[in-house]
Amino acid sequence: MSNNNIDIVKVIQSKLGDKVQIQLGQLGTAAINVSNGLHREVLKAMLEADEKTGLTAISGVDLGTTLGVLYHVHTSNAFVTIRAEVPKDNPKIQTIVDLIPGAAFHEYEVSDLLGVIFVGNELKGHLVLSENWPEGIYPLRKDVKATEVKLSPAPEEEKAPDIGKLVKIIIGPQHPALLEPEKFAVTVDGEIVTKVEPRIGYVHRGIEKASESRTYVQDVYLVERICGICNACHAYGFVAAVEKILKTQVPERAKYLRVVTLELNRLHSHLLTLGHAGLEIGYETLFQYFWRDREPIMDLIELTSGNRVYASLMTIGGVRRDIKDVDVPKIKTTLEDLRKKIPFYRQVYENEPSIKARMRNVGRLSREDAIKLCVVGPVARGSGYDIDVRKDDPYEAYGEIPFNKIVYKEGDTWARMNVRMDEVEESINIIQYALDHMPKGPFRIDVPRNVIAGESISRNEAPRGELFYYVKSNGTANPERVKVRTPTFANIPSFLQTAIGENIADVPPNFVSLDPCFSCTDR
Amino acid sequence: MTNTVTWARVKSPWVLHFNSGACNGCDIEIVALLTPKYDVERFGVKLEPSPRHADVLLVTGCVTQQCAERLKRVYDQMPQPKFVVAIGACACSGGVFQGNYNVVGGVDKVIPVTAYIPGCPPRPEAILDGVVKLLNALNPPKPKKLSKQEKQAEALKTEQAKQAVAAPEVVVASQVVKSVIEEVKPIVKQ
Repeated sequence: MSNNNIDIVKVIQSKLGDKVQIQLGQLGTAAINVSNGLHREVLKAMLEADEKTGLTAISGVDLGTTLGVLYHVHTSNAFVTIRAEVPKDNPKIQTIVDLIPGAAFHEYEVSDLLGVIFVGNELKGHLVLSENWPEGIYPLRKDVKATEVKLSPAPEEEKAPDIGKLVKIIIGPQHPALLEPEKFAVTVDGEIVTKVEPRIGYVHRGIEKASESRTYVQDVYLVERICGICNACHAYGFVAAVEKILKTQVPERAKYLRVVTLELNRLHSHLLTLGHAGLEIGYETLFQYFWRDREPIMDLIELTSGNRVYASLMTIGGVRRDIKDVDVPKIKTTLEDLRKKIPFYRQVYENEPSIKARMRNVGRLSREDAIKLCVVGPVARGSGYDIDVRKDDPYEAYGEIPFNKIVYKEGDTWARMNVRMDEVEESINIIQYALDHMPKGPFRIDVPRNVIAGESISRNEAPRGELFYYVKSNGTANPERVKVRTPTFANIPSFLQTAIGENIADVPPNFVSLDPCFSCTDR
Repeated sequence: MTNTVTWARVKSPWVLHFNSGACNGCDIEIVALLTPKYDVERFGVKLEPSPRHADVLLVTGCVTQQCAERLKRVYDQMPQPKFVVAIGACACSGGVFQGNYNVVGGVDKVIPVTAYIPGCPPRPEAILDGVVKLLNALNPPKPKKLSKQEKQAEALKTEQAKQAVAAPEVVVASQVVKSVIEEVKPIVKQ
């Protein structure tokens, strides 16, 4: 892109000058403290200067008498945190939905869990909390003892209401197409979808609150269990944020070992999704083929970490286990075997009539909409929006490893699946390179159990897109606040938009092309 | 007839999978069971989309507040006899999420559970082992093959036992009835 050398901080400084307080190098490129209302001005300035400005997350923090609202905003070459505060007795702040449409769900979440009211985008009911959760109690506030909250009786059974000519089809919470319990109320006019209303929160386990009562070491294993598929990315995100507060320098070998773990994670996740897409369009053979080829990767994860699913390899200060030299040839041959199978799959995706019919031109998302809705990962890259944290903001050893950013321009389901297919090959290359260039030396250093007071963010590219962590510490062994923004949470708004106007039968393939993970979304 | 039904049930258990707030770890392992490496369909195990056709309910997850009511509803829709298998540490006891505000913790707090499979997540082999153990429990153990002499000895034993037990049992029963009547009488009069 042409505007890669904009200094966004200077732009903000020149436009708003003394009205804002800029802290360079904090929470990304810079943290910008604003008084109530000015956050919109900062955002407007950023949007004007850089077309790739988008919202990554909104973190709500209980600061005692006030509530902190942190807007984490990414641009093409920087990451800025806008810090606003609202009083607890009147927690009102202007919405930013009119500037960035993708912010709606982020605002709802802060409203639901922390009770901040976004004027112009008020939450009705609940987003992630259960329907019988009492009004006016917000679990992430420090004075709320969440286990003592009394729930009201269970709600009535939901029924599809009579809405005249249109028909409302309720998908979920128990549905064969969904592995996870979520509800989507799809309104159809004949065969055409006119509206999709999601109800998430069926998998909400309160992990963000729970992490505040556990130690940092315990939290690594807790946040890992946010998602069983991209678990290594979650553990890495938390560990990296804590290491930033501690200013720990991880040994070189650990950086490469982490890359191998993260890429093995991506490989098994992408193969899973490519197969699952086959299942959703009724092409079960493809599903069985992909899952057959996924099993050797699971064996590799077991070989390197000792467990099939939960690698539990990441730890604060490095990794827990080394890869033995005797295992390296086995890893390489397994990956080469997988590489030989890719041309066949690519040819299937290219020529197979059923795939063409069910995936081409389904769920079309334009580049402009992708930027507006702040989508991430393969969904963004399938629409020509070239964001990949591994390249844009390299972490661990990614800066030293050559690989390509995969971008497709079509923006349909087919393109999103092909991004994943190409990334499988890139992942194989990355692992091979990392194994060949693995530095010698220690793979772990000791770190203190108590973390000094501070706050930090970490970003990494999970299989489904950018995974964001915000950690605030207070000098004890337990964190003060852990905020997680998962990729599916950012991608859901795009599905709600692309499904409209399409056939009801196209809902499953369109939906699965996001690679939805609700245990991530709800936490 | 019962034997035939049991035989059919053991040979082709249709399972329904319900995620009650799991992290996907156990769920993916259940799906892995259906794929070529493990392939449980060769044992007649079939994943069934509807609760109304299922014999065995495989539940994963720590049961969130939002899911508890739905889990009960799914269980109620299944025809009798039905069996529930709790898969994973969360389904067994709440696991790492025990005590969180939105978590009920453990499938057995909502519906009765027949078999527990621990692990985070359990390996596909462990899930298979759990389901096989459940099915074996349905099948009554086959009687041992006895020789003629043993059979005669056995028959004699049961005969003697019947005679020995039968007489005193009646006495005991009648005594109990009498004593009960005596106890009840004054209450009735009042």
